[in-house]
Amino acid sequence: MLKMTHIRKVFRTDLVETHALRDISLNVAEGEFITITGPSGCGKTTFLNIAGLLETWTDGQYLLDGQDVAALSDFQRAKLRNQKIGFIFQSFNLMPDLNLFDNVDVPLRYRGMKGAERKDRIERALDSVGLLSRKKHLPSQLSGGQQQRVAIARALVGEPRFLLADEPTGNLDSNTAEGVMELLQSINDAGTTIIMVTHDPSLASRSARNIHFLDGRIAESDHIAVAGQLEAVS
Amino acid sequence: MFIYYIRLALLSYRRNPVLSSLMVLAVAIGVGAYMVIFTLNYFMGGDPIPHKSAQLFHVQLDYGDPAVADFEPPPQLTYIDAIALLDLSSEHPRTANSKFVGVVEPQNRDIRPFSVSGRGNFSDFFTMFDIPFQYGSGWDREADENRQQVIVLSSELNDQLFGGSNSVGETVHLHGYNFTVVGVLDRWSPMPKFYDVNNGPFDPIEEAYIPWHLIVALRMDRSGNTNCWAAPEGDGFQAFLNAECAWIQFWVELQDSAARDDYLNLVDNYAAEQKSFGRLQQPVDKRLFDVNEWMVEQEVVPDETRILSALAAMLLAVCLLNTVGLLLSKFLGKAPEIGVRQALGAHKGSLFIQHVIEAGFIGALGGVLGLGVAALGMEGVKILMGDLIVSDWMQLNLTVMLVTIALAIVCTVIAGLYPIWRACNINPAIHLKLQ
Repeated sequence: MLKMTHIRKVFRTDLVETHALRDISLNVAEGEFITITGPSGCGKTTFLNIAGLLETWTDGQYLLDGQDVAALSDFQRAKLRNQKIGFIFQSFNLMPDLNLFDNVDVPLRYRGMKGAERKDRIERALDSVGLLSRKKHLPSQLSGGQQQRVAIARALVGEPRFLLADEPTGNLDSNTAEGVMELLQSINDAGTTIIMVTHDPSLASRSARNIHFLDGRIAESDHIAVAGQLEAVS
Repeated sequence: MFIYYIRLALLSYRRNPVLSSLMVLAVAIGVGAYMVIFTLNYFMGGDPIPHKSAQLFHVQLDYGDPAVADFEPPPQLTYIDAIALLDLSSEHPRTANSKFVGVVEPQNRDIRPFSVSGRGNFSDFFTMFDIPFQYGSGWDREADENRQQVIVLSSELNDQLFGGSNSVGETVHLHGYNFTVVGVLDRWSPMPKFYDVNNGPFDPIEEAYIPWHLIVALRMDRSGNTNCWAAPEGDGFQAFLNAECAWIQFWVELQDSAARDDYLNLVDNYAAEQKSFGRLQQPVDKRLFDVNEWMVEQEVVPDETRILSALAAMLLAVCLLNTVGLLLSKFLGKAPEIGVRQALGAHKGSLFIQHVIEAGFIGALGGVLGLGVAALGMEGVKILMGDLIVSDWMQLNLTVMLVTIALAIVCTVIAGLYPIWRACNINPAIHLKLQ
């Protein structure tokens, strides 16, 4: 579903060139749950931004569902983001003056969906994260864990093919983080591909595959769960 | 999406009320001040009779003293020339007219005699200038020729003398003579008063209208400008009538360019004939002016208002430059939200529209507040200019209100283009991580 070949990303200023990604090649299959780990500044977030079409890259090829996305216009990329990709951020990135319903509504607005269908989808999405009863609340009236669940509902409301999560539990305590992980796990079980950046090795160990970034390169790629399952079968 | 964007604009206003209010205030001051001057110019310089201003012509002749190098030809005609042109122009609607003042003695003895401003004119005056009547009508050419003592009243004078009732057929005692009322004007206030711009272009219309010949026949007290460039030969009123003294405005209605050319030939021939008698020795550039040409020729809109216009435009520009800065600050402050919206599927075009609507929303609020500023400014102009303007037309009518709001919206959107462009081109990736 996602195929990157020899992707490089260089940030340039007048004085400095920073190689954020060096020759990244990666295949992500439909339904996979991949975690990305690595030290700060190793290129995890840059990779995620490129995967989510929020950032351009310097060299290499990126195919999304077999389509070369390099040549797409801003409009086409936005459409792809809206229809195929969901984003979850460490700091939730909810809009503070919109209530939960309106926050979850944002991606559907850009899809041009009719009011009744939007309402139905939003309520289902909020219900799936257990926050339907609080749809009129503002984000500031919720706890961090609840805000992240709203962000997940917002990411899922458009029924994307894959979800990009940038340290979704980074701002949460361990209990709340566990709840969010379980939610992501169930989303993946339902068939959504997930790529998650995390610093937490215990969370990384729960994914099917962990990719370790170091200095802009893939240092290690382990099929943790799949390898474990294969071992068990043999 | 339009209503959605309006709602986002409202939320954005509430998020930064001080910054947003400063923008609204800047737009309101700039647009309000500009509209005061715009209104002044609009009414002073507007076409007072747009549907036929190109068919109505003021006649000017080659008056002046050749010995005086920079002699400005007077805009009016002498009595001799007015009489001659009346005969020459009889196949067209035409009128000579001039002002007078007279004392009216009301039939109601409880009302003391009072002075009125009046105009002597020909019957065609009313039809040429499309003057509306409340009761009756103007008189006919026969009344002109026979010097009938008929009178048309303004609605204000009719209110004063007859309580606003239909006074056609009633008698008005003016200047010691009885006049029969044949018509009462409806409310009418051409701006500028184009048919007599050299006697107060922004004065109210006259209160009483009588056949022009009666000014001479009844020795009415003339008023208004009189320009003489040669001393009368002899004493008395008849000597004045025969003198090189211009005090009569002359208008003719010519339907098309052919009629205009023919009429101009007549006037040219008349001028040439008079030259042979030793008169009209100072040639003029032009003898026929349509209404708008005449307004320009007579510099009806004073230079001061043009200077004021320039100053108001500069104030508006300064206010808009401030708005640019404030919008830039506001929109760049929304970078994290813009980043999130991009991640969720907004493309640059939709972000552009969203922010154009937000700028337009601020502009609309500025326009509404600007109406208040304009209303205050207009009151100030009335106080400053006093009798020079008629306060009836220096006001916020629907056109002025709509133009104010539209101007505010358009200006604010234009001022917002650069901030919007910057906002739409932020890199979302930077702000998503930092939010």
